[in-house]
Amino acid sequence: MSAERSARAQYTLPRGLHAAVQTGFLVVITLIVLVPLLGIFLGTFQDGNEIIRKGISLDIDFGSLSLDNYVMLFTDSGLYFRWFANTIVVTAVQVAGTLLVSSFVAYGFAMYNFRGKNALFISVLVLMTVPFEIMMLPLFVMVNDVGLADSYSAIVFPFLAASVTIFFFRQYFLGIPKDLLEAARVDGVTEFGIFFKVVLPISKPAIAAMAILNGMVIWNNFLWPLLVLRSAEKFLLPIGLNTLLTPHANNYELLIIGSFFSLLPVLVLFLVFQRFFVAGMTAGALKG
Amino acid sequence: MARTEMARTATESSQTSSPSADVQRSRPVRAVRREPTAGPGRLKGLLYNQRLAPYLFIAPFVITLLAFWMVPLARTFQMSMQDVQFGQATFIGTDNYERLWNDRIFWKALFNSTRYMVLTIALLIPIPLVLAALLNSKIGSPRVKAVFKSSMFVPALTSIVVAGIIFRLMFAETESGLMNQVMGIVGAGPVRWLRHDTSGLIALLMLAMWRYTGVNILYFLAGMQSIPSELYEAASIDGATRVQQFFNVTIPNLKPTIVYVTTISIYGGLAMFLESFMLYAGNNSPNNQGLTVIGYLYRRGIEENDLGFASAVGVVLLVIIMAINLTYLTATGTFKKEDAR
Amino acid sequence: MPRSRRFTSLVATGLAATLMLAACGGGTEDEGGPDAEGRTSLDMWVFAELHETFYEQMTEQWNKKNPDRPVDLNVTVYPYDDMHNKLQLAVNSGEGLPDLVDIEVNQFSNFVGEGGKSPLSDLTKAAEPYKDDIVQARLDLYTRDGVIRGFPTHVGAFVAFYNTPLLEKAGIDYKKIKTWQDFEDAGVAYNKATGRAFGVASTGVNMVENLIVAQLGGSLFAEDGSVAVDSPEVVEALELEQGMQEAGAISTIPGGSPDAEEAYGAINDGKYAAIVYPAWYTSRFVDYMPDLKGDIAIAPAPVVDNPEVATIGGGGTGTAVPEASPNKEFAQEFLAFAKLSPEANVAVWEVLGFDPVNMSVWKDKKVTHNPDNRYNKYFQTNLFDVLNKVKGDIGHFESFTNPNLPAVDDQFTTVTYTEIFENGVPPKEALAQAQSDLENQIGE
Repeated sequence: MSAERSARAQYTLPRGLHAAVQTGFLVVITLIVLVPLLGIFLGTFQDGNEIIRKGISLDIDFGSLSLDNYVMLFTDSGLYFRWFANTIVVTAVQVAGTLLVSSFVAYGFAMYNFRGKNALFISVLVLMTVPFEIMMLPLFVMVNDVGLADSYSAIVFPFLAASVTIFFFRQYFLGIPKDLLEAARVDGVTEFGIFFKVVLPISKPAIAAMAILNGMVIWNNFLWPLLVLRSAEKFLLPIGLNTLLTPHANNYELLIIGSFFSLLPVLVLFLVFQRFFVAGMTAGALKG
Repeated sequence: MARTEMARTATESSQTSSPSADVQRSRPVRAVRREPTAGPGRLKGLLYNQRLAPYLFIAPFVITLLAFWMVPLARTFQMSMQDVQFGQATFIGTDNYERLWNDRIFWKALFNSTRYMVLTIALLIPIPLVLAALLNSKIGSPRVKAVFKSSMFVPALTSIVVAGIIFRLMFAETESGLMNQVMGIVGAGPVRWLRHDTSGLIALLMLAMWRYTGVNILYFLAGMQSIPSELYEAASIDGATRVQQFFNVTIPNLKPTIVYVTTISIYGGLAMFLESFMLYAGNNSPNNQGLTVIGYLYRRGIEENDLGFASAVGVVLLVIIMAINLTYLTATGTFKKEDAR
Repeated sequence: MPRSRRFTSLVATGLAATLMLAACGGGTEDEGGPDAEGRTSLDMWVFAELHETFYEQMTEQWNKKNPDRPVDLNVTVYPYDDMHNKLQLAVNSGEGLPDLVDIEVNQFSNFVGEGGKSPLSDLTKAAEPYKDDIVQARLDLYTRDGVIRGFPTHVGAFVAFYNTPLLEKAGIDYKKIKTWQDFEDAGVAYNKATGRAFGVASTGVNMVENLIVAQLGGSLFAEDGSVAVDSPEVVEALELEQGMQEAGAISTIPGGSPDAEEAYGAINDGKYAAIVYPAWYTSRFVDYMPDLKGDIAIAPAPVVDNPEVATIGGGGTGTAVPEASPNKEFAQEFLAFAKLSPEANVAVWEVLGFDPVNMSVWKDKKVTHNPDNRYNKYFQTNLFDVLNKVKGDIGHFESFTNPNLPAVDDQFTTVTYTEIFENGVPPKEALAQAQSDLENQIGE
C-alpha cells in the first residue's frame, strides 16, 4: 500500500510548489478578468469623446485625468437619476413579485399530487429552454393590442411566474418534510396559511438566493423593456444608457460614467450577500 | 371514533389543539376535516380543501403559460403564414418559408449562431470545469480562491449594454485601443477587430467567456461539492492520480450538472442576440458577420416591419432548438428520471 | 402571531406595489386641441439633439408671432434606429403616435405604402404659402403619388470640404479640382507625398455613390420601380471609387463613414484631407472637430465628364404629421412655419449650419455672409458662395423616393460596400450578389 502511494507521489509536484503555481495562476486570471472593469473605471476620469474615438486603453495620460465627469453626473445629467430611480423601483417590485408568485406556484408543484401535475411540470422545464427572444415579437404585438405599451405592467407581468425560479423553489420545497404540513393542518391552518406561515419562513436561503439571482437579471433587463417603453422619463438604466450611444446625443461622458455607476448597485448586492447566493445555489440546485 | 373527534376539534377551535399524544405517535396523522356544506363557512372551507388548493397554487403559472406563452406561440405560427403591413394581415401560406429557404442572409445568420453555439460550448464547459476542479481541490489558499470566485462572477453582473460598450471600446480599431496595445506588445500590428470575420468572432467569444466563465464555474463547483469525498478517497486508495480521479470520479458524478449547463448553452448560443448587437453597436455588422438568427428576426420584424417573415424565422429557430434539446435530453436519459418522480 | 402578520403584510405590500406599478404604467389619452389658455401641447420625436434645439427655437418664434395660439412643444430625442423602430411599431398598432416626427430620408418610404396609403397626413395645403421659394427637388423627396407627406430640413447639396493647410504642404491647390479624375490625381499625389489618406471610402453609409450615379444619369431602380442595383451606371460609379481606392486616393475610415465618432477623431487629427459630403456636414466640423477651425475650405463637389447634374441633395430628414394626431391641422400649420418659412430657414442656417430649402434666404447677404455666424467663422470659404455657383444644377435623385430604398440602403451599407472596399471584391460581382439578395428579400 505505501509503496503504491510513494510511487504515486513521484508524479505530483511538491505540495508547496503546486499551491504556489496554482495561486499564481488564479491571481493572473483574476487580474485579466478585472481589466475591462478597470478600463471603464479609468474612463470615468477621461474625456468621453476621446474614449469613443480612441477606445479604452491603459495608456493613460495621468495629467489629463479629472473629476469633471463626476461633477457633471451630479449636477447636469438630465434624466440619468430618473432612470436610476425607475430601475430601482421596478427591480424591487418585480423581484418581490416574482419571488412571491414563483414560490407560490412551486409550492403547488412540490407539495401536492394532482391530475396533470407531471404534464404541467414538464411544461415548466420545456419553457426554461424556450428563449424569450422567440416570443418577443408576438408578445409585443399583444401588448400593443391591449393598450399596455409603454407601461411597467407589460414589463413585469409576463415574468412573475418565472420558470427557473419555480424550478429552484420546487427543488428546495421537496426537501421539506411533509409532516410539518400535516402538523399545521391539524392545527387548523388553511392551505394557503401553511404556505405563508410555515413554509416561507423556513425557506430563507432559497429566497435569498433567488432574490439575488432575479435581482441581477432584472436590474440588467434590456431587450423587453426596450421594445415596450417609449417615453424617455420611463426608461430603465440600460435603455437610457443605450440612447447615449450615438453622436447625435453628444453625451459620451454620461455614457461612460453612467455605465460605471449602473454597475454599482448589483455589485454591492452581490458582494454583501454572496454567501447566501452560493449557499442557495448549492442547496437547491442542479441535482438534475 | 378518534379521527372524527380530532377533526371536529380542529375545525372548532382556533388554537393549537393537541391530539392525545399516543395517537400521534402511533401512526402518521391524516387530518380529515369535515367541510361545512352551507353558508359562509363553505367559502372558508374552500381554503382548507386539499384537493382544490394545488390548482389555486399553480394557477398563476397556468395563466402565464396560456396568456404569455401559448397565445404568442400560436400568434407566431399564425403570423408566419401572413403578410403583415400597417396592422393588416393577409394570408399567404408558406410564402415566407419559401423566401426563408432561399435567403442567403438567413443561412448566414444560422451559420453564425451555430458556430457561436459550438464554440461557446467548447470553451465554456471544459475551462470552467477545470477551474472548478482547481477550486475544489484542497490545495491552495481558500482566501485566494474566494476572491477568485467572486471576481470571475462579477462580469455576469454587468448589464449587456455596459459589457458590450466596454468590449467595443477595448477592441477599437485604432492603435490606442486596449487590445491593439496588447497586440503591440507581442509585436503584431493594430487589428481592425470588428471589421473582419475572424477577429470579430474572437472579440465576441472573449466577451462571452468574460461574462459566463464565472457562472459556469459556480454551477460546476456546486455540483462538485455534493460529491461525497469517500469516492475520492476510495479512488486514491486504488492508486488513481488526481487527473485520473478527475476523469473517473468527478465527471461521471457531475453528469446532471454538465447536462444542465450544456442544455442552457445550446439554446443560449443559438438564441444569442444582444451580445453581438451591443458589440457591433447595432444590427449591421460588416457583411453580416455578427448577425445571429434572433438578430435577423429583430431586423426583419422590428427594423423592417416584416412581421410575417420574422415570425417564420422565429418558428424555424424554435423547431431547431426544440429538436436539439429533446434529442440531447433523451440521449442523456433526463426524461426517464423525471417520469419516475 | 407576529411572524405571520409580518409575512402577510409583506405579501400585501408586494401585491399593492405591483398593482401600483400597473396603474402608473399605461399612457394617457390626448384629447387634442388647445387648453384653457389657448396653449396647444404637441409631442415630437426626433433622433438628433441638434434638431431638438432647432425646434425649441422655432417654438419661441411661433409663440412670439402668434401669442394667441401658443405652442407647448415636448421633444424627445431617441437614437436613430430606435426612433424609427418605435415609429413603425406605433404605426402598426395605431397607438402612441406623436404629433410631429422627424423621419430620415432613407426610412421615409417605410411609412408610405402601396398606392399612397400612409399613416402620415397630407401636408400639401400647409405648404401653399411658402411653396414657390422652396427647392422643388427637396419637396419632391417627400412627395409620394403627388401628395406631400413630409417637409424637408435642408437641401444637403453635396460639396467638397478640403483641409487646405495639409493640401498646400503637399503642393495641391483644391481650387483646381473639378472632376473626379482631378480628385483622384490630387489624392494619389497627396498620398505619395504624405503617406496619409486623402479622401474617404465609406462602408457604412450610402452617400457619395448616389451622387456619382446621379451625375452619370443612372438610378438604383428600373423604370418600373423594381430593384436594379446591377445597372451599368451603378457598376461604373463603384468601379470609379474602387479605382480611386486602389490608386491610394481614398481609404476606409474608422467608424465606417465620415459621420461617426471615430471618424471625427481621425479627421480632426488630420488623417484625412478631403471629404465629399452633403452641406450639412458643416455642423459636424463645428461641433466635433474644433482643431480644424480656419483650415477647411468648401468647394463644389467633383463631377464626372459631362454630368447630368452637378450635384444632388444627400441625406435629409422629412418631418411629418401622423394622420392619427388629434392636433393634426394645427401641427401642420406649425410645421410649415417651422420648416418652410423664411424665418425658419434663417434659423436652419444659423442654428444648424445647413443649407436651407427656402432660396429666398440664399440671396440675403446679411444672413449668409454674417461675420458673426459661427459657421462663417469656422470655414475659410462661404457656403452660400459655393451653393450659388451650382444653384440651378441641383438634381432630384429619383431613387430616393422609391419604396424599396430602405432595403437597398441596408444591403449596401451592411454587405456590398464592405465587400467592395474592405474585401476588394469587383463591383460587378458584389452588385450582382446584392441584386439577387434584394430580389429575394423584397419578394419579387
